Amino acid sequence: MTLDPFTTAGLVGLSGALLGIGLFGIVTRRNFILLLVAIEIAINAAVLNFVYFAAFASNPSSGLNGQSAAIVVIGLAATEIAVGLAIVLALNRIRGSINVTEATALKL
Amino acid sequence: MFLQDLASWAFLVPLLMVLSFVLVGFLGPYLKNWREGGWIAVVISGIAMVLGLLIAAGEMLSPGRYTDLHTTWISVPGNGTGVFPNGFSLVMGTLVDPISALMLIVVNVVGFLVLLYSIEYMQHDRGLSRYFAELSLFLAAMNGLILADNLLEFFLFWELVGVCSYFLIGFYYEKPAAASAAKEAFLVTRVGDVLFLLGIFVYFGAYATAGAAGGWAANGFLFVHGTNPYIPIGTGANPTLLTIGGLLILGGAAGKSAQFPLHVWLPDAMEGPTTVSALIHAATMVAAGVYLLAVASLFLGFTAADQFAIVAVGGFTTLFAATMAVVNPDIKRVIAYSTISQLGYMVLAVGAGFTMVGLYHLFTHAFFKALLFLAAGAVIHAVGTQNLFKMGGLRKVMPVTWLAFFVGALSLSGIPPFAGFWSKDDILSSLYGTLGAHPDYWPFFLMAVATVFLTAYYIFRAFFLAFGGDHPRDDSLPHGHDPSWIMKGPLMVLSGLAIFAGVFVFIPGFSNLLPGIGVPPTYTVTDILLSAMSVGLAGLGIGTAYVLWGNGRVFTLPDDSPLQSIRTVLLRRYYIKDAYDAFGQRVIYGIARIADFTDRFVIDGAIHGAERSFAGLNRRMRGIQSGVVLDYTAYVVAGLVVVLVVLLVIAPWLLSMWGGT
Amino acid sequence: MTIPILSLSLITLLVGTVACFAAGRWARYVALGTAVAFLVEIGWMISQFTWAGFGPTGVPSYSYGETYAWIHLYWLNINYSVGVDGLSLPLLLLTGILLLVTVVYSWEEKKRPSAWFALVLMTCLGCAGVFMALDVLLFFLFWELVLIPMFFMIAYWGGLRRRYAALKFFVYTHVGSIVMLVSLLVVAFYSHAPSFDFSAMYGPARALALVPQVFLFLAMLFGFGIKFPIVPFHTWLPDAHVEAPTGGSVLLAGLLLKLGAYGLIRWGLELLPQGLLHTQPIIFAVAFASIIWGAFVALGQRDLKRMVAYSSINHMGIVLLAIGLYSSLGITAAVLLMFAHGIVSALLFMVAGSTHHAFGTRDLATIRGITPKTPALATVTMVGALASLGLPALISFPAEFLALLATWDGIGYWVFVPLIMLVVTAGFYLWMMQRMLFGPTSGIPEDAHDLSQWEAAAMAMLVALTILYGVLPGLLTNVIIHSPLFGLP
Repeated sequence: MTLDPFTTAGLVGLSGALLGIGLFGIVTRRNFILLLVAIEIAINAAVLNFVYFAAFASNPSSGLNGQSAAIVVIGLAATEIAVGLAIVLALNRIRGSINVTEATALKL
Repeated sequence: MFLQDLASWAFLVPLLMVLSFVLVGFLGPYLKNWREGGWIAVVISGIAMVLGLLIAAGEMLSPGRYTDLHTTWISVPGNGTGVFPNGFSLVMGTLVDPISALMLIVVNVVGFLVLLYSIEYMQHDRGLSRYFAELSLFLAAMNGLILADNLLEFFLFWELVGVCSYFLIGFYYEKPAAASAAKEAFLVTRVGDVLFLLGIFVYFGAYATAGAAGGWAANGFLFVHGTNPYIPIGTGANPTLLTIGGLLILGGAAGKSAQFPLHVWLPDAMEGPTTVSALIHAATMVAAGVYLLAVASLFLGFTAADQFAIVAVGGFTTLFAATMAVVNPDIKRVIAYSTISQLGYMVLAVGAGFTMVGLYHLFTHAFFKALLFLAAGAVIHAVGTQNLFKMGGLRKVMPVTWLAFFVGALSLSGIPPFAGFWSKDDILSSLYGTLGAHPDYWPFFLMAVATVFLTAYYIFRAFFLAFGGDHPRDDSLPHGHDPSWIMKGPLMVLSGLAIFAGVFVFIPGFSNLLPGIGVPPTYTVTDILLSAMSVGLAGLGIGTAYVLWGNGRVFTLPDDSPLQSIRTVLLRRYYIKDAYDAFGQRVIYGIARIADFTDRFVIDGAIHGAERSFAGLNRRMRGIQSGVVLDYTAYVVAGLVVVLVVLLVIAPWLLSMWGGT
Repeated sequence: MTIPILSLSLITLLVGTVACFAAGRWARYVALGTAVAFLVEIGWMISQFTWAGFGPTGVPSYSYGETYAWIHLYWLNINYSVGVDGLSLPLLLLTGILLLVTVVYSWEEKKRPSAWFALVLMTCLGCAGVFMALDVLLFFLFWELVLIPMFFMIAYWGGLRRRYAALKFFVYTHVGSIVMLVSLLVVAFYSHAPSFDFSAMYGPARALALVPQVFLFLAMLFGFGIKFPIVPFHTWLPDAHVEAPTGGSVLLAGLLLKLGAYGLIRWGLELLPQGLLHTQPIIFAVAFASIIWGAFVALGQRDLKRMVAYSSINHMGIVLLAIGLYSSLGITAAVLLMFAHGIVSALLFMVAGSTHHAFGTRDLATIRGITPKTPALATVTMVGALASLGLPALISFPAEFLALLATWDGIGYWVFVPLIMLVVTAGFYLWMMQRMLFGPTSGIPEDAHDLSQWEAAAMAMLVALTILYGVLPGLLTNVIIHSPLFGLP
């Protein structure tokens, strides 16, 4: 398979758009759960790129590198969600709210 | 033949004294009954003296230059550039030639006699093993210096004798004056050492530009390159560099030999034991400067400008130091000024081109000056003061010491047939001979002649004050007595040498050590008149001293005499030491204090200022640390943008600027 | 099969460090054993160089070299790569010697001895690694490793203002480290070297264009220079020394200052010779400033330790001068001087430590005439001071002499500047001896005691080495000249 410029542009555009949506969400959302959702979207932008470009790798083994990186990232994302939700629960128990702007105990 | 072959064993002479140093230094404290090892030092230096005399005898029988024992001390490959394109190696070796044989005699004979004398003289002092170990080390270094076969090796031992002198001047280290004098001696000679080292470098440069470097600069400046007899190897070298090199060597010699303006340390060095003054500060170490000038004049060559500078320094110092000896009340300091003055004669002779004449005076001076010091030492030992105005009438109670001092004084004054007469007369007549070609030497010749009168006057002033009259001026002093044979023996041997050393050069074999001196005298009428004049001046000096100070008289200047102010200036040593002290304490130490202040408050202050401004920045910037996660994510995104801009825009632009690949 | 002796000696130190932490009250024996084992290993290499004709052949090549792949990712090739030549071997010997004497000197350390000895070993591990490493990342790893134990040695065992001094030391040297790392990485990346290995960078780095070479060398001069230290970035040194415990001062002056000089030769001079040659005026200016400033400020000090610290600045200025000359004479002189300064400054800092220990102060205006009371301490003080001011037959003399000769060889009459400063150096040491050792005794407590046996043993070793290498400097120069540097044009 060879790289088709139009498909490539579309796909890179798609992943760029996903990343932008994710970043926008990360910067603007105050609800912790929505924040996690936005992070997931940004991560998926990277996964999409991995999978797409891996398909065009010149040799199969480096293609596999890309695929496996995608798997690793998905696994990482799942882990991150698990940890994140645990933090949400703890935060809710301590503060009674999951608004991230109120959790400022890390301030110097 | 046996005696000549001994020259290749010359390295044993310094090595024996190193052995003595180690033995006495480590075992001495456990050998209370042997004067804490003093006897070991005496025996070993006796062996070294015999060896040195035998080597000198071999040199007398067949004069020549014997070099031996070349070991490489440091060797570094070169990289094809600079003065040492083929690298540099410093070799250590021994060179026995007539003048080093002469020095071997001086150093080892005086050294042995002084060590023997010290056995009794020092017996009541603490730290005897330290004393004998340091004297042994000094003799080792001094022998190494005179046997050195290249200038760098010479410099190494030169520094070493300097530090031995430092130790020994400060022997009575509890006395603040001794500690201060030791420091002063080290620092002033250090100035000379720095000039000397730079002089060596300049000579390297002079010869390197002459293209001679390939052959011998790489071998560490061997002395052995001239052919017999003594042809300076300066031919073809850059004359400007040679002149500068010669002046710097003069600076080094002036430091060691206490010539003006680096003379201030020698009178203060009298804080050390009198035996040390006799050996180091009269006979040997201070003569090393003259020896350096002699070596340099033989092997390197001086230009006319150098010669004039050397003559000027020597001639001026001769008179300058003699004037200060005239008024001094301290018996040791009178002799110390006399040493500076006599060294001036030697420098004068070497500078005027009469190297051998200068060394001749060095030879005779070593004996009569050591004799004077040891006799003064016996006096101090007996009466417990150095103040001439408290002594008196010692002739009756110390006849042997009296005789010894008398012989030394006559020799110093230049009365025939004592040793000092021959060499001093030789200097004056040689110098007179050059006046036609060098009229600019006239003032220095006149200074040298005037000094003859002053010399006789000040030494006999001391002589009459100490020994004349019937009783001590200070009755509280202990009544003197002659020392025992351990001290009297060296005094007698040295008295003999002070009488006869001058005529040794007329012995056929001995004259080989001083080429050109020992030929049968072919005196012209001028020479005889000159001799008569100098003897007459010396006699006048003695007579003046007798009139003013003889038979227990004490001459006091009237208070309103205009000479009083001159006397004050002389007693204050022309204020030169005061000026140096002020320079050291005010200027140099002042700079140091300012530097310290700057370091603490300006340089470190700037750092602390930077720290404070960072702290202020911190206070202002800490608002950014809101603790709100969303703010942080915004910074992350902004950072990402900056990194992308740098990587994709700025970096390629920079790379294109530098023309990289 | 050849024995990987370099790795072996590093492992010796590593094992010793870990064992010390665990050894409790036996730590000092572990430390002593480690030091002796390390010295034996280094001594074996030295003897091979001296008598078996060992040594690098060709440019660049290193003896006892070992290279193992460490991190290989795409174009990123980081190796574990070590090797020695005549340049680094004397400094490794110095590391071993100072490790041994520090352990002996602080034999009776009461305050957490196991941690103390472990930190001493760790410092020496870092220094040994720096002297062996031939890979940028490995070099940096060891370089940073040195900071950590030294920080804790100052901050925990130090004097009254120890926290301030430790932090100042850390911040200063860390700034230097970062600049150094960045410039080394730029050299590696920008020259497209195939790996971070020294031999791999050697050709490409030397082929760099002049402008980047000059800028990169200046960055290295700053980065390594802070460790030297060079004026005006030197003020961390006196504070660190004054507050550091004696063992810390010994390692700080004896080893840590040498890291900067060694790094500048190995990674600056060898990789970027054009950069050095075109910045010579700057190097000389900085070196002269250090020489003059160090000497004069030392003259103005009242605290013995501060005086010795400033004299270190003066001596390291001469080292920088010798390096800047870019000649075989200069490099030999620089390495010899580093070795000499390591031994002598260690001795003088021990003197300062013992002085403080015996009299409760190091104030030269207070302590007078200690000789009758503490003759052994006075003797060692005198040897140290005389060695430092360049007395023949002691170790500094051949080093300073070669440095002056090289200076004269390289830049002619400018040699007058360091020569004149020799007088000032002599001045402050003589002044110190006159005040402290001579004259009537005053200002010291009645119960002042002389050196303990362990202090005396450590100092005696250093005095013996001072004399040994002073009389036979050829033992060292014959090793130093086994460097590929001497084949360079």
